[in-house]
Amino acid sequence: MKNIFYTLIMCSLFLSCDTNEKKSNEVNLYSQRHYSVDKLQYENFTKLTGIKVNVIKANADELIERLRNEGENSPADLFITVDAGKLQKAVELELLQKVNNNIIDANISDDLKDKNGYWVPITYRARIVVYSNDRVQKSDLSTYEDLANEKWKNRILVRSSSNAYNQALMSSIVANLGSDVASNWSNGIVNNFAREPKGSDRDQVKAIAAGQGDLAIVNSYYIGLLLSSEKEEELNAGKSVSVFFPNQGENQRGSHINVSGIGLAKNSPNKDNAIKLMEYLTSEDAQNTYVNNSYEYAANPNVKPSKIVQAWGTFKRDKLDLNSLGKFRKEAIRIFDKTGWK
Amino acid sequence: MEIKNKIFYLENKRWIIGSILFAILLLLPIFTLLYKLIYVEGNSFKYLLENILLDYSFNTFYLILITAFFSLLFGIIPAWLVSIYKFPGRNFLDIVLYLPLAIPSYIMAFTYSDILSYTGPIQSFLRENFYNISIFFNQDYLQIEVLGIIMALALYPYIYTVSRVSFSLVGANYINVSKNLGLSSFKTFYKIILPLSRPAIFSGLFLVLMEVLNEYGAVKYFGVNTYTTGIFRAWFSMGDIGTAIQLSVILLLVVFSIFYIEKYYHSKTKFYYKTNSTIQSLGKLNRINKFLAISLCLIPFLFGFFIPLIFILNNVFLTFSSIDFKDLLQLTYNTISISSISSFLIILIALFFLFIEKISKTRVNYFISQSISMGYAIPGAVIGLGLIILFAFIDNFFSSFTFLGSFFILIYAYVIRFLAVGKSPIKSSLEKHPESYDDTGKNLGLGPLKLLQKIHLPINKFALITAFIVTFIDLMKELPITLILRPFNFDTLATQTYEFAVEEMIPLSSIYSLMIILIGSVLLLFLKNIINKQVNVS
Repeated sequence: MKNIFYTLIMCSLFLSCDTNEKKSNEVNLYSQRHYSVDKLQYENFTKLTGIKVNVIKANADELIERLRNEGENSPADLFITVDAGKLQKAVELELLQKVNNNIIDANISDDLKDKNGYWVPITYRARIVVYSNDRVQKSDLSTYEDLANEKWKNRILVRSSSNAYNQALMSSIVANLGSDVASNWSNGIVNNFAREPKGSDRDQVKAIAAGQGDLAIVNSYYIGLLLSSEKEEELNAGKSVSVFFPNQGENQRGSHINVSGIGLAKNSPNKDNAIKLMEYLTSEDAQNTYVNNSYEYAANPNVKPSKIVQAWGTFKRDKLDLNSLGKFRKEAIRIFDKTGWK
Repeated sequence: MEIKNKIFYLENKRWIIGSILFAILLLLPIFTLLYKLIYVEGNSFKYLLENILLDYSFNTFYLILITAFFSLLFGIIPAWLVSIYKFPGRNFLDIVLYLPLAIPSYIMAFTYSDILSYTGPIQSFLRENFYNISIFFNQDYLQIEVLGIIMALALYPYIYTVSRVSFSLVGANYINVSKNLGLSSFKTFYKIILPLSRPAIFSGLFLVLMEVLNEYGAVKYFGVNTYTTGIFRAWFSMGDIGTAIQLSVILLLVVFSIFYIEKYYHSKTKFYYKTNSTIQSLGKLNRINKFLAISLCLIPFLFGFFIPLIFILNNVFLTFSSIDFKDLLQLTYNTISISSISSFLIILIALFFLFIEKISKTRVNYFISQSISMGYAIPGAVIGLGLIILFAFIDNFFSSFTFLGSFFILIYAYVIRFLAVGKSPIKSSLEKHPESYDDTGKNLGLGPLKLLQKIHLPINKFALITAFIVTFIDLMKELPITLILRPFNFDTLATQTYEFAVEEMIPLSSIYSLMIILIGSVLLLFLKNIINKQVNVS
């Protein structure tokens, strides 16, 4: 009996040494996402696999700077962002490595994938138009380009150009239509501002409710959040507007979307665990958790949006290579600066 | 005297050399950034000048002006009333006027924008009950002027504290003389007390301005582009380090000019005054004036503390079911432990430099002491990046051990950024004590350590505690450095508050804000007690 006990201890010691050397039981994340739903996902993953998830949450650019400087010493396994542009930037700086995995590949929609195979989308969101139910006819709305039309003078609300979602939208316009058209568009939008850009996406919707403007450019999930608010007044504000997906016409490119995605760090010390986590986060289970807690759209085509989001109907996505959102970022900001979009 | 100093200097050379080396260590991340400047392409300044510099400069100065004006108003008037007059509630007000310091300015900004917004309590109430009036209040409150007032509400206690002490110290003698000369109370205040207290008030105002220049969260939310938001935009969004560093240099120049303008001005008009020797009897007020005094003192407290607190409490009750108390406890523990360890180190280091400066009296040490305060003028994230670049380089030498991602780096960054905060109370306390203490000590053959231990630690005890509390509160509220340099899985109350707030879930962030405010308030009440002991404020 004693001998068996000792053998067991020796074995476990030996095994633990082995795991220490070859595969640890951890995975390290540098993440720009800091929603409550993420914590839930990591806890579920740990329960399922026994792998501990360690997280540092900060702004994407700062995390990129940290990754870049750490180089080979970096403890990071995965880099998570809420903007394909930042993933592209990380690829450009050679901070990520390609992921070839059939499970992940099968889990996600083809048109959301990175064409070069460096990063994996987990959710996506559309940057849409919301409009006042009282003061705007749905039939007057059509495309992003049309928002520069004079008929919207003093009616458009949008947040500051420092915001990454606006930068991504402008990058998509530059990528689709070129710098000159984008510049003119920006000029038109600035002329149509109901007020100087400020506040959050949610504040733009509140400003419509307050009558300070008639339509706003916001991310889809913020409307979901507003409609599930615990405060009655916020709920009312959410109900006073409707959602419109721009550029849905037959020959039009579809609404601008952006992904929240993961990249595998070039020097990932726990690669196997990292890939397991990627597999898990794109699985139907985890994707359902995302959809129902953060009102984003799932990257997994088998997973339907939450009920609130489903009510807005389906829409056509802009099929632009999402890496363009990073490639044209600098140009986008130049256009913002030059046209006075604060 | 001269010779004695020289001998002392020669005997304790290693202390001075040690302090120089230590200072270099503290300035290293800043040097690293300047070194990076060499590799910057030249044309970014043209872009800056053509497109954004004017707008950024205007906003920065306008915001400074509004915040300065209102924080002086909120700080000086109550301090004057509380110091000189007797009225009901005076003792209570004297205590609670400090409390807004416990609320981080970004939380103040988010809270007020919610309170004032269309869906907030004021407008909702008016809409339901007085529709006609509500139309008038339906405004866009996200304006630079509103932001300035909100920042002033969060920051005026810096001015109140110093004014309160200074007004009490100037005290009775001067007031009696001026009254005998037939000056009215207002004239006494305006012509005598205010000029005599100007250096003190300015030191408070300087802290206010530094906070405004460094503010990021609130300023971005209000859509106001300042130098600091410009640095972030250039560096992070555009990857344009050149423009970012150029803006940082401009920011530093602004800070230095503010600092030196006052210094120059101050050197031209030197006052020598005797501090309060007789306990001053408080002036009496008639009924109307009593009411006026109470109202004037209540305004900053109500708007700077009470109203935001009630609103935050209401949010806490609304979200009570979703509060994770285990998590809250853990974050509170994290916050308290990292802030107290760092504050302790900061006080130790500040004391070291100030003490060397005092006993050595060399120009070098004066210069060192000034330059290590520079960190306070640099945005936290810039210091963070300086450290990342520096230590990534060092880590590449030691492949078995990495500094980045350790608490060491986090605390290192805190020290660089907040040394000035810890230094200022100790400095003013050290300056108050006569030189003769040192000389006597030196004559008795005490070395630097003994001099510190036997004389300076005991007599500066209260200043040290004050410095600890002030630094602790600032660290507890700190955000950008913690975000970027923290180790894995390390959250504080401030980072958690921010993460909810930035995702536009203000109600969920409330319990964490409340915790920050509670801890801060307790410490401030304690601090107030100490200040009362330290100077005999009547």
